[in-house]
Amino acid sequence: MQITVEDLDDLSLGAVFLATGGGGDPYVPQLLTAEALKKYGPVELIAPEDLADDAHVVSIGGVGAPTVSLEMLPSLGEAVRTLEAYENHVGRKVDAVVSFEIGGGNSLIPLMAAAGRGILVVDGDGMGRALPEAQMMTYAIAGVCPTPAIAYDYAGNITTFTTKDTPTYERHIRALSMVSGGMLTTAEHPMTGAQLKPAIIPGTVSFSVALGRTLRENRGRADQMLPALQKLFAASVYGACRMLFAGKISDKATRIIGGYDIGEATLTPFGEDGSSMVINIKNEYLVAKLDGKVVASVPDLIVIVDYESGTPINAERLRYGQRVAVFAVGCPDFFRTPHALKAVEPRAFGFDMDFVPLEQIGA
Amino acid sequence: MRIGIDVGGTHTDAVLLANNEVVASTKALTTADVLTGITNALDTILKETGVSEDQIEAMMIGTTQFTNAVVERRELSTVAAVRICLPSGAGLPPMVDWPDDIAEALGRHTYMLTGGMQYDGWPMAPLDDAEIDAMIADLIKLGITNVAIASVFSPMNADPEEYVAAKVRAAIPDVRITLSHAMGRLGLMERESAALLNTALLAFADRVVDAFDDAMTTRGLKCPMFVSQNDGTLMNSSFVKQFPALTFASGPTNSLRGACKLTGLSDAIVVDIGGTTSDIGVLEGGFPRESNVVISVGGVRTNFRMPDIMAVGLGGGSIVSADGKTIGPQSVGHRLVTEGLVFGGNTLTATDLIVGSGAADIGDKSGLSAVSDETIKNGIATIHQMLDRAIDMMKPNSDPVPIILVGGGAVLVTGNLKAASILHRPENAGVANAIGAAIAQIGGESERLVSYSTLPRDEAIKAVTDEAVGRAVEAGADASTVRVAEIDETAIPYMDEGNTRVRVKVIGDIAVLGDKAATATPNNTTPVQEQN
Repeated sequence: MQITVEDLDDLSLGAVFLATGGGGDPYVPQLLTAEALKKYGPVELIAPEDLADDAHVVSIGGVGAPTVSLEMLPSLGEAVRTLEAYENHVGRKVDAVVSFEIGGGNSLIPLMAAAGRGILVVDGDGMGRALPEAQMMTYAIAGVCPTPAIAYDYAGNITTFTTKDTPTYERHIRALSMVSGGMLTTAEHPMTGAQLKPAIIPGTVSFSVALGRTLRENRGRADQMLPALQKLFAASVYGACRMLFAGKISDKATRIIGGYDIGEATLTPFGEDGSSMVINIKNEYLVAKLDGKVVASVPDLIVIVDYESGTPINAERLRYGQRVAVFAVGCPDFFRTPHALKAVEPRAFGFDMDFVPLEQIGA
Repeated sequence: MRIGIDVGGTHTDAVLLANNEVVASTKALTTADVLTGITNALDTILKETGVSEDQIEAMMIGTTQFTNAVVERRELSTVAAVRICLPSGAGLPPMVDWPDDIAEALGRHTYMLTGGMQYDGWPMAPLDDAEIDAMIADLIKLGITNVAIASVFSPMNADPEEYVAAKVRAAIPDVRITLSHAMGRLGLMERESAALLNTALLAFADRVVDAFDDAMTTRGLKCPMFVSQNDGTLMNSSFVKQFPALTFASGPTNSLRGACKLTGLSDAIVVDIGGTTSDIGVLEGGFPRESNVVISVGGVRTNFRMPDIMAVGLGGGSIVSADGKTIGPQSVGHRLVTEGLVFGGNTLTATDLIVGSGAADIGDKSGLSAVSDETIKNGIATIHQMLDRAIDMMKPNSDPVPIILVGGGAVLVTGNLKAASILHRPENAGVANAIGAAIAQIGGESERLVSYSTLPRDEAIKAVTDEAVGRAVEAGADASTVRVAEIDETAIPYMDEGNTRVRVKVIGDIAVLGDKAATATPNNTTPVQEQN
């Protein structure tokens, strides 16, 4: 499958849905990607199983606080220069790039890098959604070493990393991001084709295009588009899809703390009475509580959409008075093993609670 | 007594309100100079009622002139876009995502300068005086006197914008400048685009406001004049001259507010049917429901707060297929009166269908001799289906809702709409916009830097809100109607932990105390804010 300029609207729309509130606004990355695809032509996707076992793959994307990217705009060529800096650092060519996270702008950065270098993009990603930390990626969970890695900042400064464990790498990169304007492009978690195959959520790039198309073709009230979404998710690596709530944002407070957007949003029903919902945010929507009772939690996907159009809304664009619906989607099976859950369950984000899969919570 | 005026593309409407009730209304044609149309409408309404000029306490004007100027790419000045952002954002210059025709109307004079702030207040790069001076020298060489300046994170720290503006002003004394931090919140491209559109309209705004003032002087009106802005509040003349772009979308806002006033309904769907489109909006608690998505004006993304409007290509002039099963979006527009079949023309329009069905008596029915009953029946059904489908998408839930029909094309709806619990066709529906302008509201705003570690967040927000309410009431709002329109919090991370700029905007109806409000000045020293 190819990704062409015409696919970008759908890919971005699907990616914002899968970003569960985080991942940054893909509008600007999309403008840059469109420029790259116009200049260099379409990008070829390769299914993970079609990769040669000895292929050299590196994951590439942005790290930082999504709010920053509304102001400090990326530059054309940042992704390509990051990849070039990585190749110079390791002294070999890269065969394919892969996304850290399909959610948000990070779904597009590998396309920009691949277009500029004429290489392949792997159809899949390391999260199947968006998540705030590197050790939450499937690559790290599967034991892939995060380095050699390089980070490239807005001013073109290059930093290299040699740390062997991902949590420490995450700590370093986060600290660097905070003093580099809040956003970095990194090439990290290099893998061979053989290492990548069991360590990836497969098919998510092409799925994101299909999801965006479904959202576009069924554009309208959230409750009316639900059946089409349920059908699409049921036939994917995800599974259940439910509408949890419809109402207004009555409060939202987030602040940039330690390089993340942290806070919560409160939703009240359209009428005067009824239960209210609180959603905890750390870049992404992580836990949804109805009158204090958990109705969905990470790693399942919690998505806030505009009630009237079904358009997903990023956490940094969420604001007082918006009329929204909340969807929840079951996470891919990769995250459901005890080993994987350790990295992505609510406790990993500081919430004192177990993960209860969406299917097990009463409708 | 107050006069509300709506300057539309075709008609200039005027209404006279006493104690908030419509006493008289009139429709005049909009003239090329605008002034004559307003004067004519004023003449009619004052003559008709015998009210003397000194009884008028305020005149409120809603105008689509600035929106139309952007949409039609006319009256726009050449503008220099100065962005202080390098080394970030290279390759994404100002106007990069604008339609070519409007970017060219402004001249594509873009300058990207080194500087701007990081989120934590650390400079991205020092400002470069030589670079700024070279930019100014270029402006002088090109004779550019309109400049929009945007810098990275200016809502947190506007010093770079102010610094460059001071240098430009010193070198070009008659320059007109819009600084992006005065136009909106976080989101550099949208904020910059809003500042650019505003700057392009500044010269036009001077002419428009002067024309309004002239119309009042000609008529001997000495009362204050206000212009309605997109959130339904009022601006005074000097503010309009600085921020004309804030009038964008005031038309739909006025139409919805007018429909609310005419029916007394605060929760309803309003369908405003014109010549080319039907604009469907939603009243919630008496106010337009706001759009959640980034709104484009004439193809340009901005971060203004706008009412949520769905435009359907169905109006009185919409062209109908031979079988009646397809209508619009093409329309003969204002040429309806020459091209429609009932007017002796050759095009089957939606208006012809209504005449054919016998529901309205317009023009000459004999022009329809070649149109079959089947086509008319299909066409009428299509009109209702199109509206039902669109209304259904705008409804808050599947229950039927009250629907208010306004606008000159309201005759197109002959039967029942499935989505409607009750269908209202209020008297004076044709001048809903002018009524909306006349009952426009008073805003109040307050801002404070607080530390949530010493003052809990809910208490801090309450304190700032109370202050804003006080200001709105002082400016003439009825305290019982004041509601919070926006709460905006900007964390300032480079100051002590927990420092946040809290800004609250409240809006209320004008108090009817012998129309005392008319003499008060609305508090609009600061333009609308976007939440981040």
